[in-house]
Amino acid sequence: MQDMQNGDSPQEVNQVGDTEDPSKFLGDIIGAPVVVKLNSDIVFRGTLQSVDGYMNISLERCREVDHNNKVVRDYGEAFVRGNNVIYICLDDGSV
Amino acid sequence: MEDKEEANNEPLDLVRLCIDEMVVVKLRGDRELKGRLHAYDSHCNLVLGDAEETIYVADDEDEDEPSRVRTITKKLEMLFVRGDSVVLIAPHAPIVH
Amino acid sequence: MLFFSFFKTLVEHEITVELKNEVCIRGTLKSVDQYLNIKLDNATTTDESRWPHLIACKDMFIRGSVVRYVHLPPGIVDTNLLEDATRREAEAAKAKAK
Repeated sequence: MQDMQNGDSPQEVNQVGDTEDPSKFLGDIIGAPVVVKLNSDIVFRGTLQSVDGYMNISLERCREVDHNNKVVRDYGEAFVRGNNVIYICLDDGSV
Repeated sequence: MEDKEEANNEPLDLVRLCIDEMVVVKLRGDRELKGRLHAYDSHCNLVLGDAEETIYVADDEDEDEPSRVRTITKKLEMLFVRGDSVVLIAPHAPIVH
Repeated sequence: MLFFSFFKTLVEHEITVELKNEVCIRGTLKSVDQYLNIKLDNATTTDESRWPHLIACKDMFIRGSVVRYVHLPPGIVDTNLLEDATRREAEAAKAKAK
Protein backbone atom coordinates (compact mmCIF):
# COMPACT_ATOMS: atom_id res chain seq x y z
CA MET A 1 0.00 0.00 0.00
CA GLN A 2 1.21 3.44 -0.91
CA ASP A 3 1.90 5.87 1.90
CA MET A 4 -0.43 8.83 1.88
CA GLN A 5 1.33 12.15 2.17
CA ASN A 6 -0.46 14.90 3.99
CA GLY A 7 -2.28 16.86 1.31
CA ASP A 8 -2.56 13.98 -1.10
CA SER A 9 -6.12 13.24 -1.99
CA PRO A 10 -7.24 9.70 -1.39
CA GLN A 11 -7.78 8.01 -4.74
CA GLU A 12 -10.71 5.84 -3.74
CA VAL A 13 -12.75 7.59 -1.10
CA ASN A 14 -15.60 5.14 -1.56
CA GLN A 15 -13.66 2.02 -0.77
CA VAL A 16 -14.34 1.81 2.90
CA GLY A 17 -11.93 -0.60 4.49
CA ASP A 18 -9.34 -0.42 1.75
CA THR A 19 -7.23 2.17 3.52
CA GLU A 20 -7.20 3.35 7.10
CA ASP A 21 -9.31 6.44 6.47
CA PRO A 22 -12.03 8.07 8.59
CA SER A 23 -14.76 6.34 6.62
CA LYS A 24 -13.44 3.01 7.80
CA PHE A 25 -14.47 4.00 11.29
CA LEU A 26 -18.02 4.54 10.10
CA GLY A 27 -18.04 1.19 8.37
CA ASP A 28 -16.78 -0.46 11.53
CA ILE A 29 -19.44 0.98 13.82
CA ILE A 30 -22.46 -0.11 11.77
CA GLY A 31 -24.95 -1.67 14.14
CA ALA A 32 -23.72 0.36 17.10
CA PRO A 33 -25.62 3.12 18.93
CA VAL A 34 -24.42 6.54 17.80
CA VAL A 35 -24.88 10.23 18.46
CA VAL A 36 -25.13 12.37 15.32
CA LYS A 37 -24.75 16.13 15.52
CA LEU A 38 -25.95 18.29 12.65
CA ASN A 39 -24.82 21.77 11.66
CA SER A 40 -28.16 23.19 12.78
CA ASP A 41 -27.30 22.11 16.35
CA ILE A 42 -29.78 19.24 16.14
CA VAL A 43 -28.67 16.00 17.77
CA PHE A 44 -29.98 12.56 16.86
CA ARG A 45 -29.39 9.31 18.70
CA GLY A 46 -30.00 5.93 17.16
CA THR A 47 -28.46 2.76 15.83
CA LEU A 48 -26.30 3.20 12.74
CA GLN A 49 -27.75 1.08 9.96
CA SER A 50 -25.72 2.16 6.95
CA VAL A 51 -23.41 4.81 5.53
CA ASP A 52 -22.53 5.77 1.96
CA GLY A 53 -19.81 7.81 0.27
CA TYR A 54 -21.62 11.11 0.83
CA MET A 55 -21.78 10.33 4.54
CA ASN A 56 -25.53 9.94 4.19
CA ILE A 57 -26.61 7.65 6.99
CA SER A 58 -29.63 5.66 8.01
CA LEU A 59 -30.49 5.28 11.66
CA GLU A 60 -32.72 2.82 13.41
CA ARG A 61 -34.69 4.02 16.47
CA CYS A 62 -33.74 7.56 15.51
CA ARG A 63 -34.61 10.07 18.23
CA GLU A 64 -34.04 13.81 18.18
CA VAL A 65 -32.80 14.95 21.60
CA ASP A 66 -32.47 18.43 23.10
CA HIS A 67 -29.54 19.92 25.02
CA ASN A 68 -30.59 18.02 28.15
CA ASN A 69 -30.70 14.78 26.20
CA LYS A 70 -34.47 14.69 26.50
CA VAL A 71 -36.14 12.98 23.54
CA VAL A 72 -38.13 15.59 21.66
CA ARG A 73 -39.08 13.45 18.66
CA ASP A 74 -39.04 9.78 17.76
CA TYR A 75 -38.68 9.10 14.04
CA GLY A 76 -38.23 5.34 14.07
CA GLU A 77 -36.10 4.61 11.04
CA ALA A 78 -34.63 7.66 9.36
CA PHE A 79 -32.35 8.73 6.51
CA VAL A 80 -30.07 11.69 7.29
CA ARG A 81 -28.48 13.63 4.41
CA GLY A 82 -24.71 13.64 4.85
CA ASN A 83 -24.01 17.29 4.14
CA ASN A 84 -25.76 18.30 7.38
CA VAL A 85 -23.62 16.10 9.61
CA ILE A 86 -20.91 17.62 11.81
CA TYR A 87 -19.94 14.43 13.59
CA ILE A 88 -20.98 10.85 14.24
CA CYS A 89 -19.74 9.32 17.48
CA LEU A 90 -20.33 6.11 19.38
CA ASP A 91 -23.03 6.49 21.99
CA ASP A 92 -21.55 4.98 25.15
CA GLY A 93 -24.80 5.61 27.00
CA SER A 94 -23.31 8.19 29.37
CA VAL A 95 -25.07 11.55 29.92
CA MET B 1 -42.17 -6.67 1.55
CA GLU B 2 -38.54 -7.24 0.66
CA ASP B 3 -36.11 -8.81 3.03
CA LYS B 4 -34.93 -6.02 5.29
CA GLU B 5 -31.37 -7.24 5.69
CA GLU B 6 -30.95 -7.53 1.97
CA ALA B 7 -32.60 -4.25 1.07
CA ASN B 8 -31.02 -1.93 3.61
CA ASN B 9 -27.36 -1.95 2.72
CA GLU B 10 -27.13 1.71 1.82
CA PRO B 11 -28.90 4.68 3.41
CA LEU B 12 -30.98 5.59 0.35
CA ASP B 13 -32.52 2.10 0.38
CA LEU B 14 -34.60 3.29 3.30
CA VAL B 15 -35.95 6.07 1.11
CA ARG B 16 -36.63 3.62 -1.71
CA LEU B 17 -38.79 1.55 0.62
CA CYS B 18 -40.87 4.69 1.24
CA ILE B 19 -41.96 5.14 -2.39
CA ASP B 20 -45.75 5.63 -2.46
CA GLU B 21 -45.74 5.80 1.35
CA MET B 22 -46.26 8.75 3.67
CA VAL B 23 -43.00 10.28 4.82
CA VAL B 24 -41.83 13.02 7.15
CA VAL B 25 -39.13 15.25 5.70
CA LYS B 26 -37.19 17.60 7.91
CA LEU B 27 -35.79 20.58 6.03
CA ARG B 28 -33.35 23.40 6.64
CA GLY B 29 -34.92 26.58 7.94
CA ASP B 30 -37.17 24.98 10.58
CA ARG B 31 -39.51 23.45 8.06
CA GLU B 32 -41.08 20.07 7.86
CA LEU B 33 -43.13 18.27 5.24
CA LYS B 34 -45.45 15.31 5.48
CA GLY B 35 -46.56 13.77 2.25
CA ARG B 36 -46.64 10.80 -0.09
CA LEU B 37 -43.27 10.15 -1.69
CA HIS B 38 -43.59 9.79 -5.46
CA ALA B 39 -39.99 10.36 -6.53
CA TYR B 40 -36.46 10.92 -5.26
CA ASP B 41 -32.91 10.85 -6.57
CA SER B 42 -29.41 10.63 -5.09
CA HIS B 43 -29.40 14.38 -4.31
CA CYS B 44 -32.57 13.90 -2.25
CA ASN B 45 -34.61 15.92 -4.71
CA LEU B 46 -38.16 14.78 -3.98
CA VAL B 47 -41.69 14.88 -5.32
CA LEU B 48 -44.35 14.72 -2.61
CA GLY B 49 -48.10 14.48 -3.09
CA ASP B 50 -50.84 15.49 -0.61
CA ALA B 51 -48.18 17.36 1.29
CA GLU B 52 -48.49 19.48 4.38
CA GLU B 53 -45.76 21.95 5.21
CA THR B 54 -45.13 23.05 8.78
CA ILE B 55 -42.95 26.09 9.42
CA TYR B 56 -41.72 26.68 12.97
CA VAL B 57 -41.38 30.37 13.78
CA ALA B 58 -39.90 31.64 17.03
CA ASP B 59 -42.07 34.36 18.55
CA ASP B 60 -39.79 36.53 20.64
CA GLU B 61 -41.92 39.59 21.14
CA ASP B 62 -41.45 39.32 24.87
CA GLU B 63 -37.77 39.16 25.75
CA ASP B 64 -38.39 37.89 29.29
CA GLU B 65 -40.48 34.90 28.38
CA PRO B 66 -38.91 31.82 26.88
CA SER B 67 -39.50 32.20 23.17
CA ARG B 68 -42.68 30.47 22.11
CA VAL B 69 -42.75 28.60 18.85
CA ARG B 70 -45.54 29.42 16.44
CA THR B 71 -46.30 27.03 13.62
CA ILE B 72 -47.63 27.80 10.18
CA THR B 73 -49.08 24.94 8.14
CA LYS B 74 -49.81 24.88 4.44
CA LYS B 75 -51.44 22.25 2.24
CA LEU B 76 -49.64 21.56 -1.02
CA GLU B 77 -51.11 19.15 -3.54
CA MET B 78 -48.00 18.28 -5.54
CA LEU B 79 -44.58 19.55 -4.63
CA PHE B 80 -41.02 19.25 -5.91
CA VAL B 81 -38.45 19.70 -3.13
CA ARG B 82 -34.85 20.55 -3.98
CA GLY B 83 -32.51 18.09 -2.28
CA ASP B 84 -30.09 20.59 -0.78
CA SER B 85 -32.77 21.70 1.71
CA VAL B 86 -33.35 18.16 2.97
CA VAL B 87 -32.04 17.16 6.40
CA LEU B 88 -33.89 13.94 7.24
CA ILE B 89 -36.41 11.57 5.64
CA ALA B 90 -38.39 9.11 7.75
CA PRO B 91 -41.42 6.90 7.16
CA HIS B 92 -44.41 8.73 8.61
CA ALA B 93 -45.78 5.75 10.45
CA PRO B 94 -42.66 4.06 11.81
CA ILE B 95 -42.20 0.67 10.17
CA VAL B 96 -43.20 -2.04 12.65
CA HIS B 97 -40.65 -4.78 13.04
CA MET C 1 -31.41 12.75 -14.82
CA LEU C 2 -34.76 11.73 -13.35
CA PHE C 3 -35.85 15.21 -12.36
CA PHE C 4 -34.41 16.80 -15.48
CA SER C 5 -36.62 14.47 -17.54
CA PHE C 6 -39.52 15.06 -15.19
CA PHE C 7 -39.34 18.84 -15.54
CA LYS C 8 -39.09 18.53 -19.31
CA THR C 9 -42.53 16.90 -19.25
CA LEU C 10 -43.84 19.99 -17.43
CA VAL C 11 -42.71 22.49 -20.09
CA GLU C 12 -45.50 24.92 -21.12
CA HIS C 13 -47.32 24.30 -17.84
CA GLU C 14 -47.97 26.85 -15.09
CA ILE C 15 -45.78 26.28 -12.05
CA THR C 16 -45.00 28.23 -8.89
CA VAL C 17 -41.37 28.39 -7.85
CA GLU C 18 -40.63 29.07 -4.19
CA LEU C 19 -37.09 30.30 -3.58
CA LYS C 20 -34.96 29.85 -0.49
CA ASN C 21 -35.43 33.56 0.29
CA GLU C 22 -39.23 33.01 0.49
CA VAL C 23 -39.96 34.71 -2.87
CA CYS C 24 -42.73 32.94 -4.81
CA ILE C 25 -42.95 33.29 -8.56
CA ARG C 26 -45.68 31.90 -10.80
CA GLY C 27 -45.20 31.48 -14.50
CA THR C 28 -45.08 29.21 -17.52
CA LEU C 29 -42.16 26.79 -17.55
CA LYS C 30 -40.36 27.38 -20.82
CA SER C 31 -37.27 25.25 -20.31
CA VAL C 32 -35.07 23.47 -17.82
CA ASP C 33 -31.50 22.15 -17.89
CA GLN C 34 -29.54 19.43 -16.11
CA TYR C 35 -28.89 21.72 -13.11
CA LEU C 36 -32.64 22.28 -12.86
CA ASN C 37 -32.15 25.93 -13.76
CA ILE C 38 -35.55 27.18 -14.84
CA LYS C 39 -36.73 29.55 -17.54
CA LEU C 40 -40.13 31.07 -16.68
CA ASP C 41 -42.29 33.21 -18.97
CA ASN C 42 -45.16 35.55 -17.99
CA ALA C 43 -43.83 35.47 -14.46
CA THR C 44 -45.72 37.15 -11.65
CA THR C 45 -44.94 37.14 -7.96
CA THR C 46 -47.68 35.63 -5.87
CA ASP C 47 -47.58 38.65 -3.53
CA GLU C 48 -46.75 41.90 -5.31
CA SER C 49 -46.96 43.99 -2.15
CA ARG C 50 -44.21 41.89 -0.62
CA TRP C 51 -41.87 41.83 -3.60
CA PRO C 52 -42.71 44.94 -5.64
CA HIS C 53 -39.29 44.94 -7.28
CA LEU C 54 -40.29 41.83 -9.22
CA ILE C 55 -43.39 43.33 -10.85
CA ALA C 56 -41.37 44.43 -13.85
CA CYS C 57 -39.93 40.95 -14.45
CA LYS C 58 -41.90 39.06 -17.04
CA ASP C 59 -39.51 36.46 -18.36
CA MET C 60 -36.90 35.16 -16.02
CA PHE C 61 -34.13 32.66 -15.56
CA ILE C 62 -33.95 31.10 -12.10
CA ARG C 63 -30.77 29.42 -10.97
CA GLY C 64 -31.58 25.91 -9.79
CA SER C 65 -29.62 26.20 -6.55
CA VAL C 66 -31.82 29.00 -5.16
CA VAL C 67 -35.01 26.96 -5.50
CA ARG C 68 -36.60 25.47 -2.39
CA TYR C 69 -39.85 24.11 -3.84
CA VAL C 70 -41.66 23.94 -7.11
CA HIS C 71 -45.42 23.74 -6.68
CA LEU C 72 -46.79 21.60 -9.47
CA PRO C 73 -50.19 21.37 -11.11
CA PRO C 74 -51.40 18.06 -9.63
CA GLY C 75 -53.48 16.86 -12.59
CA ILE C 76 -50.60 16.50 -15.00
CA VAL C 77 -48.24 14.45 -12.81
CA ASP C 78 -48.49 10.72 -13.50
CA THR C 79 -47.45 9.48 -10.06
CA ASN C 80 -47.27 5.80 -11.07
CA LEU C 81 -44.96 6.60 -13.94
CA LEU C 82 -42.84 8.75 -11.66
CA GLU C 83 -42.58 6.01 -9.03
CA ASP C 84 -41.52 3.43 -11.61
CA ALA C 85 -38.93 5.82 -13.03
CA THR C 86 -37.64 6.46 -9.51
CA ARG C 87 -37.21 2.73 -8.82
CA ARG C 88 -35.41 2.29 -12.15
CA GLU C 89 -33.10 5.21 -11.42
CA ALA C 90 -32.37 3.92 -7.90
CA GLU C 91 -31.43 0.52 -9.33
CA ALA C 92 -29.23 2.08 -11.98
CA ALA C 93 -27.46 4.24 -9.39
CA LYS C 94 -26.86 1.19 -7.25
CA ALA C 95 -25.53 -0.89 -10.12
CA LYS C 96 -23.14 1.95 -10.97
CA ALA C 97 -21.87 2.20 -7.40
CA LYS C 98 -20.87 -1.45 -7.36
